[in-house]
Amino acid sequence: MRYGEILHVLGGLLMAVAVAMIPAGVLGALEGMWLGWLVSLLVPGFLGLAFFTLTPREVDLSPREALAIVGLGWLGIVLTGALPFLLTGTTSSVAWAIFESVSGFTTTGATVFAVIEELPASILLWRSLSHWIGGMGIIVLGVAILPLIGVGGAQLFSAEAPGMTTDKVQPRIATTARLLWGVYLAMTVMLGVAYLILGMSFFDAVNHAMSALATGGFSTRTASMGYYSPAIQWVTMLAMFLAGVNFTLHYRTFTGHPREMFRNAEWRWYLASVLAVSTICFFALGVSEGAFSFELVRRASFSVISVHSTTGFGTSDFAAWPIVAQVLLLGLMFLGGMGGSTGGGFKVIRGAVVTQHVLDEIRKVLHPRAVIITRVGGKPIREDLVLKVLAFLAMYMATHAVGTLILAALGHDLVTALSASLAALSSIGPGLGEVGPAANYGHMDAPALITLSVLMLMGRLEFYTLLVLLIPSTWTRTHRTPRPPRIWRRERRRALSRAGRKADPMSSWPSHPQEIPRSGP
Amino acid sequence: MRILIVGAGEVGYHVAERLAKEHHDVVVIDVDRDRLDYVESHIDVAVVEGSGVNLTVLESAGVGQAGMLLAVTSVDEVNLVCCMSVPPRRGLTKVARVSNPDFYRGGEALRPSRFGVDLLINPERELALETFALLESTAATDLTLFAGGAVQLIGLTVLEGAPVDGKTLREIGRRVGRRSLLAVAIERDGDTLIPDGETVIQAFDHVYAIAAEDEITRAMGLCGYSPTKLTRVMIAGHSREAFYLAKLLEQHGIEGTVLIADPEMAHEFAVRLERTLILRGDSTDVELLEFEGVGETDAFVAFTDEDEMNIISSLVARDLGVKQIITLLNRTDYLPLARRIGLETAVSPRISAANAILQHVRRGSIQNVTVFKDSDAEVIDFIVSADNPLIGRRLEDIQLPEHAILATIVRDEKMMIPRGSDSLQAGDEAIVFALADAVPDVTELFPS
Repeated sequence: MRYGEILHVLGGLLMAVAVAMIPAGVLGALEGMWLGWLVSLLVPGFLGLAFFTLTPREVDLSPREALAIVGLGWLGIVLTGALPFLLTGTTSSVAWAIFESVSGFTTTGATVFAVIEELPASILLWRSLSHWIGGMGIIVLGVAILPLIGVGGAQLFSAEAPGMTTDKVQPRIATTARLLWGVYLAMTVMLGVAYLILGMSFFDAVNHAMSALATGGFSTRTASMGYYSPAIQWVTMLAMFLAGVNFTLHYRTFTGHPREMFRNAEWRWYLASVLAVSTICFFALGVSEGAFSFELVRRASFSVISVHSTTGFGTSDFAAWPIVAQVLLLGLMFLGGMGGSTGGGFKVIRGAVVTQHVLDEIRKVLHPRAVIITRVGGKPIREDLVLKVLAFLAMYMATHAVGTLILAALGHDLVTALSASLAALSSIGPGLGEVGPAANYGHMDAPALITLSVLMLMGRLEFYTLLVLLIPSTWTRTHRTPRPPRIWRRERRRALSRAGRKADPMSSWPSHPQEIPRSGP
Repeated sequence: MRILIVGAGEVGYHVAERLAKEHHDVVVIDVDRDRLDYVESHIDVAVVEGSGVNLTVLESAGVGQAGMLLAVTSVDEVNLVCCMSVPPRRGLTKVARVSNPDFYRGGEALRPSRFGVDLLINPERELALETFALLESTAATDLTLFAGGAVQLIGLTVLEGAPVDGKTLREIGRRVGRRSLLAVAIERDGDTLIPDGETVIQAFDHVYAIAAEDEITRAMGLCGYSPTKLTRVMIAGHSREAFYLAKLLEQHGIEGTVLIADPEMAHEFAVRLERTLILRGDSTDVELLEFEGVGETDAFVAFTDEDEMNIISSLVARDLGVKQIITLLNRTDYLPLARRIGLETAVSPRISAANAILQHVRRGSIQNVTVFKDSDAEVIDFIVSADNPLIGRRLEDIQLPEHAILATIVRDEKMMIPRGSDSLQAGDEAIVFALADAVPDVTELFPS
């Protein structure tokens, strides 16, 4: 582990945060809060500049160092991102500021503020900006960094990510990031323009476009999306759905291959799940309210898509829905969006792998000697990936259980504890019970808010990225293996070429053993 | 015609043998002196020792005068390189044996012409196709398609008490009364005979009949079989033939199960075959076969690389009640033995390969040639050219060689069993059944 090089990259990230604060800061200066914004802008700015200039630059980072940068970088960003909330006097509670900042950068969208309209415009913009920047980070994390490191079977996300041409870590990430950010930016602009056309004010359009594409959930209105017209809600539904799709697929669509989306197995699972749960919720609502209407279609599907894509915009208080629908929504909170999207959660592809694997296990009971390869959409999934996904599932469940336990110990009821920890872990925002879409997290005390903040970061960074920071050997050992002696290298090359030959199964197939008849014809 | 055969293995040997019998000038090239000695002492061909990818060796074998180059070693790449290294020339047909399925999926980049190959043959796939056709017509022990499948040659063993048991062909013909079914050969006690109207069919005779596509079930009924539909098939072995067959079953929506002993190969099959159930286990493991309900499958196909293994597992499957069993036998001298112990349907890779190659060797008027498994008989599908002297003559006036029979005439895609009063027309397809000694004479009757 080379601390200098890591600090160098962290410095770059902090400076980026400072730059991102500029638009909100300018707005804040117009509102007369120039001092608070100036200080919160200069802290990451100077800190970043110091780190950046005083440390050596290193192009070739090892995957472990990249992992450390992701974990530390996210921590640094959320801590400096909390400064504006405190320094502009929006809140005096450190826990509130940190919670709001973490909720922003992890694109969760859970808020402690009860009346959003009372917040200064600059703070509203900063909340949406933090979503949008967090979304950028997540795209790169999901499509380029995690698959490279291979935690939790994340290789499944990036089979055909663009720019994956070189073997070096950084050029790869850089190319992928640039291409996908272009797509992300274009989609945000398109959504913003659509909002403007449908009659939203410029300020609201900018904020909601950033929030929706990042699957965040912060709004500029206390009533969230419920404040706006049905047309705007339909457009938002589409945007949330698309934000929950792997951005590699969007990239392919933008470059003229829209059919790939329809052929993608994970996308089909995602769509099927949205349609199925929407239908069930529609009927559950209809039966409980005794009336079916087209308005109900919108209400049901909006909440389903909002939860499935892990956005968390609200039009309807689903915490007051029939219990069947609430349980289904809890399931969707767990599942989340597609891998490589800005959505959080367990990820649809992992869900598909687990489902298929369970079905295969059932088949194995019928045929104990069967050799069965787990497949998703016909594509075989490597066995080690299946195991990693299962381990990830266990990790998810365990973390959720611990989170629920802590919240329960802090005096919250079961539904609230269960749903709040899941909503934080899967970066959704609103949960059920005391933290439903109509409520907020303002009534929780500091320990609960910090617990939820940790859960948000853990879920967002897919556990391993944060946990590896806690392992001492991450910090003590140098993980660069010295170049082996020449003779070893030759041996290794030979072994590799042997393995390569073996990898082609058909060429190793034996032909018929007796090529010549032993007796006469 | 001078024909160069590279590779004196199973396929090469058999092709060389067939071609030598037809008075072709055959040169066999191989790196293994022992094999060449064996070939030289058993068939009338010239041999050259050396590598097929060495142009000097090929030249010393007379590639300059050759009309055909057959690269049929067991290594695909050697065959391709061999064909590539010989410059293309008019009158030289280059044939390469390629069985790796990946070569057929390569698209443009792997087109045969890019390798300077005129024809790729895939004996493993041919065998799988043949096996699949056999599976589809459950009772048949042999099956060959002519005229795009409209006409089929089917081999059936007559069951005891079948409608035809103990009757003469004339009697049967009167009952059937149609011109779309004809028995062309009968195998009895290891001899092949060409029947006439007075021949009496007996139980356990192996009858080869030419029939229109829609008459196949009727032919099976006459021999005492009731029709069944194919839904479940179990295959033993991890040979390429087994792979191709499993793939065919998948394409036709038939439930397939493959038994593979080798764990690595089992994994490979599982990756490549999506809808086929792969079981890791020995094909002679009675307990496993029983557990997996082999008795309820419609057919069992023994496709391992070892003949002995195939015979034993076929016997086990038969014992467990499988109705149709197909056994792969590399050694042709096992074929009569297999039939004697009740394994009626045996397929042989080298005969399949030879068939695939011979079809293309005798070009000209010949459309298709089929070699019989355990006899010398052939079925040849000729096109009657416009200047054929036989045109217009009544068939009863034409003197066919003794061991040959004009089985079918296909005209305007309709088949008819010829009578003495019929005559040939230009453009007809004439399907002739002939024993090996009559083949050259028959071929002369139908010049291109």
